[in-house]
Amino acid sequence: MTTPPSTKTFTPARPIWCAGCGDFAVQGVLEKSLRNMGILPHKLMLLAGIGCSGTIQNNLKCYGYHALHGRVLPATIGAKLANPDLTVIAAGGDGDGFAIGAGHLVHTFKSNPSIMYILMNNSNYGLTKGQASPTSPIGYHGNAELGLDSMLLGLSFLSSTFLARGFSGNPEQLGRLMEAAIEHTESGKGFAFLEVLSPCVTYYDTHREWRAKVYNVDEDESFDPTSRAAAFQKVIELKEQGHIPIGRIFKGEHPSLESIIVNKEETLPAQQNIGHFNEHRKHYDQFIKAHLV
Amino acid sequence: MTSTNTNSQPVLEDISVIVAGQGGDGSLTVITMLADLFRNAGLNVYTERDVASRIRGGHAAATMRAFIGEKHCIGSHIDLLVALDEEAVEKKVHQISSNSIVVFDDSSGPLRSGLLPEGTKLYAAPFNRIAMRTMRRELYKNSIAFGIVGRLLGLEDEAMRQTFTKRFERRGQIILDYNIEALELGLHLADEMGIKRGEGKYRIEQTEPEEQILVMGNESIAFGFMAAGGRFFTGYPITPSTEVLETLQKWLPRCGGVARQTEDELAGINMAIGAALTGVRTMTATSGPGISLMQEGVGHAGSGEVPLVIVDCQRSGPSTGMPTKPEQSDLNIMVFGGHGDFPRIVLTPGHPDDCFYLAVDATNLADKYQCPVFIAMDQALSQNIASVKPFNLDEVKVVPGKRLTAEEVAELDTYKRYSFSEDGISAFAAPGTPGGMSLVTGNEHDEFGLVSTDPKNRVKMMDKRFHKIEEAKKELPKGRHFGEPDAPIGFIGIGMMYGVILDARIELEKRGYNTQYLQPRTLWPMLDETLEFIDRCERVYVIDLNAQGQIAHLLMHQGADSSKIISIRRYDGLPYRPGYLVNQIVEREEELNNNDKKEAKAQ
Ligand SMILES: Cc1ncc(C[n+]2csc(CCOP(=O)(O)OP(=O)(O)O)c2C)c(N)n1
Ligand code: SF4
Ligand SMILES: [Mg+2]
Repeated sequence: MTTPPSTKTFTPARPIWCAGCGDFAVQGVLEKSLRNMGILPHKLMLLAGIGCSGTIQNNLKCYGYHALHGRVLPATIGAKLANPDLTVIAAGGDGDGFAIGAGHLVHTFKSNPSIMYILMNNSNYGLTKGQASPTSPIGYHGNAELGLDSMLLGLSFLSSTFLARGFSGNPEQLGRLMEAAIEHTESGKGFAFLEVLSPCVTYYDTHREWRAKVYNVDEDESFDPTSRAAAFQKVIELKEQGHIPIGRIFKGEHPSLESIIVNKEETLPAQQNIGHFNEHRKHYDQFIKAHLV
Repeated sequence: MTSTNTNSQPVLEDISVIVAGQGGDGSLTVITMLADLFRNAGLNVYTERDVASRIRGGHAAATMRAFIGEKHCIGSHIDLLVALDEEAVEKKVHQISSNSIVVFDDSSGPLRSGLLPEGTKLYAAPFNRIAMRTMRRELYKNSIAFGIVGRLLGLEDEAMRQTFTKRFERRGQIILDYNIEALELGLHLADEMGIKRGEGKYRIEQTEPEEQILVMGNESIAFGFMAAGGRFFTGYPITPSTEVLETLQKWLPRCGGVARQTEDELAGINMAIGAALTGVRTMTATSGPGISLMQEGVGHAGSGEVPLVIVDCQRSGPSTGMPTKPEQSDLNIMVFGGHGDFPRIVLTPGHPDDCFYLAVDATNLADKYQCPVFIAMDQALSQNIASVKPFNLDEVKVVPGKRLTAEEVAELDTYKRYSFSEDGISAFAAPGTPGGMSLVTGNEHDEFGLVSTDPKNRVKMMDKRFHKIEEAKKELPKGRHFGEPDAPIGFIGIGMMYGVILDARIELEKRGYNTQYLQPRTLWPMLDETLEFIDRCERVYVIDLNAQGQIAHLLMHQGADSSKIISIRRYDGLPYRPGYLVNQIVEREEELNNNDKKEAKAQ
């Protein structure tokens, strides 16, 4: 059954981003990838963090959710585990994912749920007006600390299965990466992490700088994304040379979280009939029996 | 086998036993086996453990009350103390009297004289040394002592052997053999001490045991949630809430549910929220420090109208406080916590069986009113184990919340996730429902869920959310009332105080005090019945297991006559005993009496 045209639901909002913001490209590519991959709006949950990037869910037809700052990953994992039939996508900024939510990112690499996470990295806090973020370089806004690299972080988890970095200035490649990411999660292979370099034209316009610095590993025939060690070495080398690696950094295999903890013999948690008490009555009786004295 | 003894031992009707030593000594094992034996003999039991938050070392004790009829707490008087070292005696001596019996391990030397009340009957033997000498393992000292304890309590040797077999069989033949050997040694020791078979201090009148289950509050909460159709739980381990997580990890997957340990409480509550969006019934559980961490999520669920049950197994605070000690000092944070204004419900069970039924209610209420629903526990209620009637599953009503199917959505002109409605509740379509796309956010939003700062909409939305609670009030769980409604002295107390107040009332009645008791089962929103109860009484003792009198303040804040409220506060971390409460009340009452007399004279 498809949406009956007669029922009106929310009208997707017009993006509130500044003209020229990299996030426009991310949204455009996302919409196209979803279409190409045949993901229906009612089967899609798009959960977003807090930030400029965290408004993307308002702009397309989907089941959208606006999480707390830094908590989009746990919320997304909760939704996926409760209903693995859905396509569940998390989106947010570099402050959201690498600062306040960094602990959850680490544990998502570790647990490998089949969700896609689009992290729009503009190397600053756009929404709160330009403060330094965990990816800001030394010197930006008085920042004295070296920025982190999420590909290296992801590679350090032997359970990570999909690591890629795109650039809003290269939407074609971004589309390929996103479709591959959706393919990865739709086939239950685990966590697809896609960082997108998405410049903030208002507070920290990195567009030209990044265009000059990116190095596309997809075009490097000697690069093997299935080798974790090689990927690690390549990313470090490129960083040392002043490049920012983009492309498909790593693909690996590891059991997905939902394949481990959701009971396949039973109806999925969110699809059970609330109120059909007798469906599991035997387990309730069993509980009582186990505690009889 | 029946007792061959016909002499004048009293029939065992109500007895409290403590086994105390160092953490890791196995006090709990002894108590658990005793409880099992008494259950088999037809008595009911209630057990409590008192542990340091360490695996081994630190003083630890386990207490059991065995009784005929209904009791819901440990008794005031300890009839038998099994002390595995001198510190155990020092720590527990205040609970014993000259009528008590003490079994003492004197491996490190005889008990300091003068420590026990005059006339206390002492049975001392070097259990530890015997265990080391014969079995090379200290742990078997308990099983040796068990022989003496069992004989003193009037338990049958054969029944003890059976319980040992049941308990240790799983652990392998060698361990079982050693334990049985230790028990036999103990029985032999008992003979030497003159405690022959059937010549103990008590006589047990074997009756056919009523069918009962043995559960702790945390297990009942977990089970109630599951029986109410709860299928998703996430949480982070913290004493004394962890058994909720562990119980659900064991049972929920069988019903197709997910129970997962997260990386922290922030993930715990936010994962639960993410799951709740899909329509599954969801719960998280924590204690003090964790409830503080969860506050942002609680308000978010309130604003975004996400159904969520939150169990707070309160322990002594603030900060990390005293992790294993009971307190009820998170009431303020449950009722008022989180930034901004949002509706929430706080339920307060009073016994492991009540925990089951209120967990069912909490799960239904969260779904129906789409708001956070707290279950306020305390360490004692969470972890003390009681024998209770098997939960009546036929009575469990699982009432689905307002959901829209694809067909129902199709019949609408417009579907709005946060549509204004008579009762403030908006029916919603879960993700996956064709045509039901929507937005959920903690930001202020319009009916579609789109962010809005329009002042008119803001006020309407805020009022809509609070209106749900007014509606809920009509059906929120009523309290339990005990005593004559015209009794002058009232009690209000929740959680572990339930059993203590019930017991204290009996003693107070004997001493001529006519009391009534209300256990509010919905603390927030405050129900009229609670305020009416206070109106009815001349004065009400409000028992607060916290330093600030949080319940008393809540009552006054809600309009209770403050001149009627006598706030009793305790925050020393010790579990309440009925006798302690009785003394407190009698003292106050006498004071009041004397004041009245003085006033009369002055006139
Ligand atoms: C707990 C909490 N702390 C702080 C904020 C304020 N805040 C909102 S967005 C944001 C940073 C956003 O930066 P980023 O995640 O990089 O998103 P961007 O706007 O750059 O897309 C902060 C600090 C908040 N909403 N919640
Ligand atoms: S402030 Fe920066 S990140 Fe935010 S919308 Fe504008 S350009 Fe984009
Ligand atoms: Mg940013």
